[in-house]
Amino acid sequence: MTTVISTNSTARRRRSFRPSPLLLTFVLVPFAIESIWVFWPAIQGVFFSFTRWDGLSAPVPVGFDNYVELAGDPVFRGALGNSVLWLVLFGGLSILGGFGMALALQRERRGVGVYRAALFLPVVFSMVVTALVWRVFYQPDGLVDQVLTAVGLEHLIRPWLADPETALYAVIIPALWRQIGYIMVLYLAGLKAVDPAVHEAAKVDGANNWQRLWHVTIPQLKGVNAVILSVIVIDSLRSFDIVWALTRGGPYHSSELLSTYMYSAAFQSLRLGYGSAIAVVIFLLALAVIIGYLVRAFREES
Amino acid sequence: MSSVSDFDPSRRRLLGLGLAGVGALSAGPLLSACASSAGTGGTPTTGGAVTLQSNLTGAAKAGVEKLIADFNKLGKGTASLNTVATEIFRTQLPTYLSSANPPDLYTWYAGSVANAYSEKNLLLDVSDVWQGMGDYPQSLRTLATDAAGKQVFVPMNNYWWGFFYRKSNFAKWGVQPPKTWAEFMTLCETLKSKGIPPIGIGLGDTPWVASAWFDYLNIRINGAPFHRELLAGKQRFDDPKVKAVFTKWREALPYFDPKGKAYPFQEATTALLAGKTGMFLIGTFLADATAKDVVEDLDFFQFPIIDPAVPVAEEAPTDGFFASAKSANPTATKALLAYAASVEAQESYVANSSGIILPAHPKAKAADMPLVAKGKAMLAGAAELTQFFNRDSSDALQPTADTALTRFIDKPDQIDAILAEWQKNAEKVFKG
Repeated sequence: MTTVISTNSTARRRRSFRPSPLLLTFVLVPFAIESIWVFWPAIQGVFFSFTRWDGLSAPVPVGFDNYVELAGDPVFRGALGNSVLWLVLFGGLSILGGFGMALALQRERRGVGVYRAALFLPVVFSMVVTALVWRVFYQPDGLVDQVLTAVGLEHLIRPWLADPETALYAVIIPALWRQIGYIMVLYLAGLKAVDPAVHEAAKVDGANNWQRLWHVTIPQLKGVNAVILSVIVIDSLRSFDIVWALTRGGPYHSSELLSTYMYSAAFQSLRLGYGSAIAVVIFLLALAVIIGYLVRAFREES
Repeated sequence: MSSVSDFDPSRRRLLGLGLAGVGALSAGPLLSACASSAGTGGTPTTGGAVTLQSNLTGAAKAGVEKLIADFNKLGKGTASLNTVATEIFRTQLPTYLSSANPPDLYTWYAGSVANAYSEKNLLLDVSDVWQGMGDYPQSLRTLATDAAGKQVFVPMNNYWWGFFYRKSNFAKWGVQPPKTWAEFMTLCETLKSKGIPPIGIGLGDTPWVASAWFDYLNIRINGAPFHRELLAGKQRFDDPKVKAVFTKWREALPYFDPKGKAYPFQEATTALLAGKTGMFLIGTFLADATAKDVVEDLDFFQFPIIDPAVPVAEEAPTDGFFASAKSANPTATKALLAYAASVEAQESYVANSSGIILPAHPKAKAADMPLVAKGKAMLAGAAELTQFFNRDSSDALQPTADTALTRFIDKPDQIDAILAEWQKNAEKVFKG
């Protein structure tokens, strides 16, 4: 690169430091559009979080009141706990499941495409449709209850989505059912990039399957892992549709996530200032997790 | 990274791209301006055109379509209907009303919901429409009047709530509709001994159905005035009087259908019609999706009397229209409202909808059914009418009730904590 430039004329060199107008256009136009539709509303959201606003009258500035109230709000704490649980369960299980499926379906054999397609299929369905179907499974005397009855476990039957003990877990299952296929596809792509020569060498050195997985495959998936982790964190924090469609955060806030609580505070209780404060907290959490991971990743790189 | 770009288009092409970029930049604000008006369902203002933003579905939608079509024949303006799903309608209504170019009319509720919007000067003053509605009773006029004393709402119809049951099933089980709370408890016990869950309920996805129980017990025990004050924030939810409501409710809890926590009210209706539950406290809209021959087998009894000393009040939610203060076409808007208030329009509306509703106009005939006659008589005999929890308070207070009531049905032992929490949440809503 630099050698090429050093042999060039000075004029040529000077121009090469200036970004081409085309590049500028390609950066500035999306940036301008993004500013109007994303950044500006987001900044407004931060402003609203310091106000009391019903969406109709002018917002009343209240300083940090909303944040003080959040700190003492048991529903918010419950939603935060549920969101963390969701992140760990939904995130952890979908990474484990997706990676397992990817390993199992990695080798090109006859019919493997059918399995891959079957696992990826739920990703294609709209989340709300998925929720409606699962709701039919969970309803009293529905499929889940029938299966339990068939295997003689009638005593376990309960109103799955209406019982505060089970509601959140009953919602996580359809969310996982969908996410595993998605994560599997990402890992399949990552596994394609693993250098087979290293595997061959490890085989010659007498490494068994586990050792090869642990010392050869997984270290080479670093890049994919970074992407998947970001995807999982963001997907967990913005999980909303499946919960809303199945339980609305109920019964009495027991399956509330931060996102559903934000929505119901803003649009059902018409406390848009309070809802904005929750939104700011969600944003900061996502930012903290992702930046924390990226900093670590960069440090390891260097 | 100072490499020579291998992508080096000619200047002319670059100029074109640059212009396109400038175009995109300047189009941005323009587009967003369009989006804000298109997104709120604004209409271009041509002569005499008005938009009715409606959340009515099913049979009621057919009724309102007919109303619009008949109005358009009169030549006093052209109205068009814009139907929006109820949940979206409810959450977007403040946005519609406060937008720069709002729809002219809306299907919605009278009472405190309309008053709250009217206080913010968002509703059209329709007092002159009321001038020509001489036949209407004072009670409806009061309901349509805001705090400043002007009318902001035109009633279309109301309906009633009660314990619905199938006559054939009651005959089969050999039971009679009760009048008092004691008889009601005996009936529940009888049905339970026959292996039928006595009281149906539908709280899954429609937790607001539980509010009917709270409303009714409160107006039966403490009376309608106390109930209204409580819902207006002038009384406290942790008051012993409110606790008395839940003490009474606990007597009935063992008779609730346990599956009802997971059903929406539509499925609870199906369960009732299939004889899987004995009776169901619900509004007449349960008949909207019910076959005609089954409707003939339906009957209801009034919510049992608990304290004979308390004047009898009934829930009678009134539906109708209000209009936006920013309507570009107030003349045609008022013409449509005046037509909707007429005998002819209301009779045709009732005939086209499910039929189990009562027209607001005192001279308009309701459907000729014993069930409707009975409902009408019950409302006429009531000393007071309430609307419903969210209509007597606000849509923002409803979620606090949903949380408190579903939690009570699940864990009645925690009543003191539930009421304390309810009061705290209600205060937040009243504060804004």
